[in-house]
Amino acid sequence: MKQHLGRQSGVQNVEVSLIDGKVEVTPKEDGQIDPVQLLKATYDSGVTAAEMNMTARGKIVKDSSGSLALQVEPNRSFVLTPNELSKGLEALVDTPTMVTVRGQLYKKPAGKKKADASVPLKLLILEVPKKE
Amino acid sequence: MNTKKLALLALLVSIVSPVSQAQIKHIEVRVEGMT
Repeated sequence: MKQHLGRQSGVQNVEVSLIDGKVEVTPKEDGQIDPVQLLKATYDSGVTAAEMNMTARGKIVKDSSGSLALQVEPNRSFVLTPNELSKGLEALVDTPTMVTVRGQLYKKPAGKKKADASVPLKLLILEVPKKE
Repeated sequence: MNTKKLALLALLVSIVSPVSQAQIKHIEVRVEGMT
């Protein structure tokens, strides 16, 4: 699994802890990492992804449908699942303020084994450690 | 001349850097049984 994930574009390092059932992925700074591909690669390597959490830094924007999103690359953003923490970030929409957040991108639905790659990943913010 | 170029470079860096600082820092996947 480590080699399989390590071959994905934008991945710098992969650490697998079998005891904890955790895979830590350190992205390269080239911004090429794609969480959807990572999720698919995890499944392809023979295990079920139960949950995917991400720490990312970016700007808060509104997408075409008016939903809040975290823009981490000029061409990549993650729609935020509304919660108390995302409401607190609403004031930062379209400001140059960068924010670092930790959130949940994927949680396996009960009873399903495989991640549905056709559903866009939404970011449920769990923590906002830093605003700048 | 060099001062002008340096000033222009500094201006460009200040414009580009907020976007380039944005990135995915870390991803953690919790896995369970074999598929």
